[in-house]
Amino acid sequence: MTDKTDGTGTASPDDLTLEVRLGRLEEIVRMLEVEEPDLERALALFEEGVGHVRHAEELLAKAELRVEELLSEKELRPFGEVTE
Amino acid sequence: MSETRNLDLFPPGGVPENGEDTGRGDPTAESAQLEVWTPSQLNRALRLMLESSFGSIWVTGEVTNFKRARSGHCYFTLRDDEAQVRCVMFRADAAALPTDPDEGMTVRALGSVTVYEARGDCQLVVRTLEGEGAEGLWRLAFEKLRARLESEGLLAHERKRAIPEFPSCVGVATSPTGAAIRDILSVIGRRAPWVRVIVSATRVQGEGAALEVAEAIRSLGASGLVDVVIAARGGGSVEDLWAFNEEPVARAIVECAVPVISAVGHEVDVTIADLVADLRAPTPSAGAEAAVPDSEAITAILDAAAARLARGLRGAVRGRRASLEGQRGRLARALPSLVTTRRDALRALSERKLRAVQRTLEARRARLRVAAGTMTALSPLATLHRGYAVPLGTGGRVLRRMGDFPDGLEFSLRVVDGHVECRASGSASIDEAGA
Repeated sequence: MTDKTDGTGTASPDDLTLEVRLGRLEEIVRMLEVEEPDLERALALFEEGVGHVRHAEELLAKAELRVEELLSEKELRPFGEVTE
Repeated sequence: MSETRNLDLFPPGGVPENGEDTGRGDPTAESAQLEVWTPSQLNRALRLMLESSFGSIWVTGEVTNFKRARSGHCYFTLRDDEAQVRCVMFRADAAALPTDPDEGMTVRALGSVTVYEARGDCQLVVRTLEGEGAEGLWRLAFEKLRARLESEGLLAHERKRAIPEFPSCVGVATSPTGAAIRDILSVIGRRAPWVRVIVSATRVQGEGAALEVAEAIRSLGASGLVDVVIAARGGGSVEDLWAFNEEPVARAIVECAVPVISAVGHEVDVTIADLVADLRAPTPSAGAEAAVPDSEAITAILDAAAARLARGLRGAVRGRRASLEGQRGRLARALPSLVTTRRDALRALSERKLRAVQRTLEARRARLRVAAGTMTALSPLATLHRGYAVPLGTGGRVLRRMGDFPDGLEFSLRVVDGHVECRASGSASIDEAGA
């Protein structure tokens, strides 16, 4: 296969959002199921997919709700610091 | 003001209770005794009497000539089939009106009766004006705004944007201290704790609340940080929720850069915010649930994806193996015939070669025969056959010249069929040419 540009085999950075990961996972699974890629590409897709699953699960496991208050369009502070 | 105090205000002799008696007496005499009033005195007396005797009352009737003055005060007339009364609503109270009543609309007015002293007009100072039936005037305001927004196409279903399935960041426009924000944070914390929440604090009721709510929504949309906005407020009366029925909030929702979920705590009625929002949730909690996915649902998705990945890879391997098996099968089938073919070819080849070798041998043999003939011709035996003999000295040495034959030499003469013993007895040379 000539294409390496579609994400296959690229690293899956830690800061991808859950939405991006889930979207890419769906794409990878579809490619594996429908396109019947050759073995090398199938392995690359599998590896990337497993990476997304693992990162997403980590995100879910260690998440703690972060709440901030918008003071202006660009200014934030942790929510709850203000007195009533 | 007490009753006694009021009665003291009436001029002496002017007590109404005496009116009937005085009327029967001598009018002239009586009249001469009466005090003379000025209009001011009269109107003031009337005003005080009316104000003290009525207190707050509800008056119902049709509204006509409703006018909102530049001062903010509102003037109108309430009437029924036979009578009418002038009404005024001062600015502070008029500001709370959701909308101006339509001409001829039946309303209920809560107010107190008084006299406008300058004109001597009796008038009702209205503090609360309601349309007939509960929420009548609110309903009217609602319908007016709804019709306007609808005519602009802002309520169209096609306008609704999809709420993102997996938002990273949720904006909440609500009171920072109300039940709504507590409910929302609790739901998001439970379902999707990885989601970042940004609260834009605003008052949600009271004068000017609509503008604040609108600004909160607007600034969240403009921040570029949030994927979806929840505009929320806990439950309350129609008046409490009114900010969410006002145009600034509706416009802010429509113009917001990201989808907006309205989450105003009221199950029954719909607010304008609900109508223009991309999604209407019946409560703040429901709004939060609509905004974020459940972590359990995501775990299920991830599990399914992992299984499908593994299956996909196995499929790819199996596909490879199948094609390998296929190749091997073809090879296996191809091999025997290949061998046979080769064997035949080999056999054909070897026969041909054999023949060639035989031919070569034959040729060599023929050449050998010729050579043998030639050799026979050259053989000394043949010479002996022709009658020549060879003298052999001791040791079998060939004796070629006269010098080899001293007189008396005994030697052997080889002839064709044996040896002849001889003795040399004299020799004579012959000339070379004759030899």
